[in-house]
Amino acid sequence: MERIKIEPRNNWQSAVEKLGFGFHSTDVPYWDESVYYKFSLTEIEQIEIATAELWEMCLSAVQYVIDKKLYAKFHIPEWIVPYLEKSWDDDYPSIYGRFDFAFKDGQLKLLEFNADTPTSLYEAGIVQWFWLQDFDKNKDQFNSIHEKLIAYWGELKHYLNHGKLHFACIKESLEDLTTTEYLRDCAIQAKIDTKLVFIDDIGWDNAREFFVDLEDEQIRNIFKLYPYEWLLNEDFGKNLTVDHTNTLWIEPIWKMILSNKAILPILWELYPYHPNLLKAYFDKGDLINYAKKPILSREGANIELQKEGRSLEKTSGEYGEEGFIYQDLFELPNFNGNYPLIGSWIIGQTPAGIGVREANRLITDNKSRFVPHLIG
Amino acid sequence: MKKSKYISLVLITAALASCDKKEKEWNEDEPKVYMRSDSTANYSRSHHGAGIGTALLWYYAFRPYGRYNNGVYNRAGYYSGGISERSNIGSNTGKYGIIRGGFGKGATVSS
Repeated sequence: MERIKIEPRNNWQSAVEKLGFGFHSTDVPYWDESVYYKFSLTEIEQIEIATAELWEMCLSAVQYVIDKKLYAKFHIPEWIVPYLEKSWDDDYPSIYGRFDFAFKDGQLKLLEFNADTPTSLYEAGIVQWFWLQDFDKNKDQFNSIHEKLIAYWGELKHYLNHGKLHFACIKESLEDLTTTEYLRDCAIQAKIDTKLVFIDDIGWDNAREFFVDLEDEQIRNIFKLYPYEWLLNEDFGKNLTVDHTNTLWIEPIWKMILSNKAILPILWELYPYHPNLLKAYFDKGDLINYAKKPILSREGANIELQKEGRSLEKTSGEYGEEGFIYQDLFELPNFNGNYPLIGSWIIGQTPAGIGVREANRLITDNKSRFVPHLIG
Repeated sequence: MKKSKYISLVLITAALASCDKKEKEWNEDEPKVYMRSDSTANYSRSHHGAGIGTALLWYYAFRPYGRYNNGVYNRAGYYSGGISERSNIGSNTGKYGIIRGGFGKGATVSS
């Protein structure tokens, strides 16, 4: 894995905007093509194999959590448990997830799994691929995200309830809208009838007890880019269990188990000393250097890194109320003050590609930059 | 690592990119805009800058409202999450059976 500095394309802003990538820059740069990462084929294969294996391990871990009724450790409320278990027993399908890895000295370690609402999908699947066509189209990239999304939507089509597949996200975020619309784009190409509804426009039909869109059309299937821990705590949360029409929600609610950092100690308990896992516990255990993470948090908030008895880094935020886990400290590699994190995508059941986000600190937060990659 | 031979997008276009207008374009000298989504309702003042930052999002935020009856669509009015409830509903009883706004209190999910 090498970090290589280059000159950005002269017209890079318009080039990415033509792709519909409208949030390449905010108050800080997000898309950064003044640098790229070069991976060897062996390294890519290492990531691909680990992603496939971890996905299998995660599915086994979900079964374990359900069998042992470990919901309290995940802060999952009891009232939603029957609904969650039904979603698992009935094989409600998942479309995607993103494993975040640290890769250093040949070791690939899972830091967390974004299983419910991962973003940066469009950047990884489309924007960096078109960058490669301009930069060096003879090179390859670990990236079959687009084809796999279309193919897997095509498979899922047969599992959907009769009717449209709605796509929902919040109104105020162009980043969320782009991710959602990209997924919808792929579903359309798989010949699925789709419709966009913003999450706050979703209606509840009191008489017929199901969810509707803005035209009062019943929502039979819905992809939502909105986390379950928020859905459950909002006014319509309990309606998920009142709705007896078997609305298919994607991601499925059993992903609440995997999107929660409490899954990290469970994985370590089930697969101790697996080469892609770090020690993780619900308390400090025997850890001397560790990352303390809230079981529910986003964008690197409320994380503290402890090394040799002192605080190495700490981020603020609003999370932590539900509890923390402790994970053995494995620092991201340092490329002259740039710390890359590898997001490895699973589409359906298959590894599909990576995206690299780079930060100026050990904790990857919402100021990180998306950097393209190639196989050299 | 299979290289894509051909990628096409049918939905996402430069229209999305054009939405990336800075919020101040909406906020500076914000005029007083009064809106209602139903002709039987009262007007109330709308604040664009309160969250709806782009033309596309604004378009989707203010959508026709109606009902299918025996396969025929009857438009009843419009509904928007950007204006107050009293300006959405008015005396149009067709909207009473549906409650909206029960989801969506959170911010971006970017991870």
